[in-house]
Amino acid sequence: MPAVEFHRIDKSFGAVAALRDVSVSIDDGEAHAIVGENGAGKSTLLKILAGSLRPDRGELRVGGAAVSLASPREALARGIGLVHQEMLAFPNLSATANIFAGRELTGRFGTLRESAMRDRARDLLSRLHVPVSPDAAVESLPVAYRQLLQVARALAFDCRTLALDEPTTSLTAAETDHLFRILDDLKRGGVTVIYVSHRLAEVFRLCDRITALRDGRCVDTFRRADVTPDDVVQAMVGRTIPTRTHDAAARDSGAVRLRLQGLTSRPCFEEVSLSIARGEIVGVFGLVGSGRTELLETLVGLRRADRGAIAIDARTAPFRSPREAARAGVVLVPEDRQRQSLFFNLNLRHNLVLPSAEARRARLVRDSERAVSAALLRQWRITAPSIDATPDRLSGGNQQKITIAKWLALQPGVLLLDEPTKGVDVGAKYEIHGMVREMAEKGAACLVVSSDLPEVLALADRILVMREGRIRGELRAADADEEKVMRLATSEGGPGPTSSMETGVDA
Amino acid sequence: MTRLWEVREISTVAILAIEIAFFTWYLWPEGGRSHPFLNQANGLLILKYSSIYGIAAIGAAMVIISGGVDLSPGAVIALSGVVLGILFVDRHWSLASSAFAGLLAGVACGLASAALVVLVRLPPFIATLGVMGIARGAAFIITEGRYFDVSGELPSGWRLFGLPLDWTSPMLMVLLALAFHLLMTRFQWGRAIFAVGGNETAALFSGVRVGFVQASVYLVAAVLAALSGIALAVVQGQGKADLAMGYELDIIASAVVGGASLAGGRGSVIGAVLGALIFGVLRNALPQIPGATFYDRLIVGLVVIVIVVMDQLVQRRSIARR
Repeated sequence: MPAVEFHRIDKSFGAVAALRDVSVSIDDGEAHAIVGENGAGKSTLLKILAGSLRPDRGELRVGGAAVSLASPREALARGIGLVHQEMLAFPNLSATANIFAGRELTGRFGTLRESAMRDRARDLLSRLHVPVSPDAAVESLPVAYRQLLQVARALAFDCRTLALDEPTTSLTAAETDHLFRILDDLKRGGVTVIYVSHRLAEVFRLCDRITALRDGRCVDTFRRADVTPDDVVQAMVGRTIPTRTHDAAARDSGAVRLRLQGLTSRPCFEEVSLSIARGEIVGVFGLVGSGRTELLETLVGLRRADRGAIAIDARTAPFRSPREAARAGVVLVPEDRQRQSLFFNLNLRHNLVLPSAEARRARLVRDSERAVSAALLRQWRITAPSIDATPDRLSGGNQQKITIAKWLALQPGVLLLDEPTKGVDVGAKYEIHGMVREMAEKGAACLVVSSDLPEVLALADRILVMREGRIRGELRAADADEEKVMRLATSEGGPGPTSSMETGVDA
Repeated sequence: MTRLWEVREISTVAILAIEIAFFTWYLWPEGGRSHPFLNQANGLLILKYSSIYGIAAIGAAMVIISGGVDLSPGAVIALSGVVLGILFVDRHWSLASSAFAGLLAGVACGLASAALVVLVRLPPFIATLGVMGIARGAAFIITEGRYFDVSGELPSGWRLFGLPLDWTSPMLMVLLALAFHLLMTRFQWGRAIFAVGGNETAALFSGVRVGFVQASVYLVAAVLAALSGIALAVVQGQGKADLAMGYELDIIASAVVGGASLAGGRGSVIGAVLGALIFGVLRNALPQIPGATFYDRLIVGLVVIVIVVMDQLVQRRSIARR
């Protein structure tokens, strides 16, 4: 008997149909992946399972019986726990309080049974191999632990079904491994796992069956043994994706545009020296916490370096702010588009022209901005209802393209990108790679930081590997493969990649 | 700027029109006597009093759009009026130089708020609460409890640029509203204020001078409050330390009723002025309703809540429709 069954579910938001006639059956004790591009309806399906949305038509069956879940609390009571993509934690409260939030253990007069909850929390955390004190404040914990706290919360309520929505987006490789070991354990213990992700490698590692959604419809459910990742990608996007051939030889003849010498900013990174030629794409691969983001932020003046030199076209360039950097043609596309890049109160037109207007110290708003931004949407094939729409009406992939396009409008000489395809679907990912390549062809020196190894391998002409704030090696794209890069990123003594898992303990 | 905000201002105009129509109907006199509410003298009176709030509300709206809040305008109004009063009445300075000194008092308050918010990084609520206390305190220290009769020193029938005195502050409000509307919509500075209020981090990453933008709105807001203090002193003829007590809340309410969101990133200076007129009409008409005297603060409070809730319902529906 299936543990959970979605039966002919329809769900619309206004005129937009998010799910159309979706039926998925999840067997008891299996790990079932739900894959699809952004906007395919994966999150909507999970929200219905978690009780935060109700279907317009169709039935949700749990243990064979049709149920109507009115709230996440009811879902939890029926043994369904959801690990959210966004961290729904109370950062100011302790690990214990987060695990039991809303369903605290109470005594006869409604008093909190603090020590009972703390003991239970300690058990759960040790079962999940999370070396965190039950009293640790959640804000002091790394993202990976916050996610595991959500798992602990589901276990605290004896959930037999655990649904995870893109759980590894912010995790390092080591943290992902840790999570997967735990999920394997839970599976062995009979827990049904519903796993939503873009990352097919993870899906193929963990799951027994895979359901692909496209445009709100269920394309097919595969058994893992019967398909290859390429088959699944094709089901998700409805087309085949061309693989890229390296044409690096044609490009690396340009003059050096960006040169760093011994750049140091303790404790984030040390002695970083590199140079990037015009038209070259250099990939920096490193796990979260390796100092990559801080390096990029230093280049555009958001942080000060302790020592070392930054030179653009052989002129030293110690920028004091992103504004100064942008005026010199050095731009950073930051990692978190919601927080660091998009203005949800402004329309796309304003979003798109803001950096270039600021960089040329515009006083007046130009009438031409309407045409300019419409041209940008066309040039980069951004799908939007109109240039007067706000960014919240766009899919994640198109939002990400906006955050890149607004900088490309400035024709930068140095393009720095931090995780440029984080959380976007496969189709948008290839188009974003196309944007970066096109800028490189126009002569920009591009530095791409990513923890998505296939992305670095596909995009970069040269790959630098960062670990613990230092550059540990350099590979030419033609010579690099996943194994060589991973070895540089993780090996050689020291606490290694697990160090980020150990921080924040009892903090 | 966008269609949504144009609609938002139109809905504020509609509320104002409904309000005026209501009081016109409710206060309709019996037996052909002149209308106590709908007459030219009363209209001018409403405009004159509303403009004190309205001029300051332009600045308040800009601060709110930038994601901050300013609690000091009431105190700044009093301080600038008192500075003008003591110089003009006691020291016999010319009106222009006394007014200029009043403006400078506003500049000083604005710089203080800006420095506390941008350099010291105090939350705007605390920073401007402090400046409010300091400005009000300074006004009391300067006056030592005295009252400056500015109108007594003005020659009778005095006109500013050929305008009758009563018309000057409404005219000033309209001109300032138009000027700042242009600045907010057609200039990069205004665009940057919306950007900072919508997402401060993204603004920093996008090359906006966040500190400069924030400092500028607090400075502009204080200067506008000082202007309304000068208008109050000249048009109503008095400089007194306990004037404009509690105005800051009415001024913030005007901006909010006019569409400014305290979360930042949304709002309109024209809307703020219209909001000030909505309250001006209420404050003028309610006392004319027999028996309503003791209810007027309560009604004003209810109106703020009803308008803002209606606005949120409309916005939620327009989001749901997407």
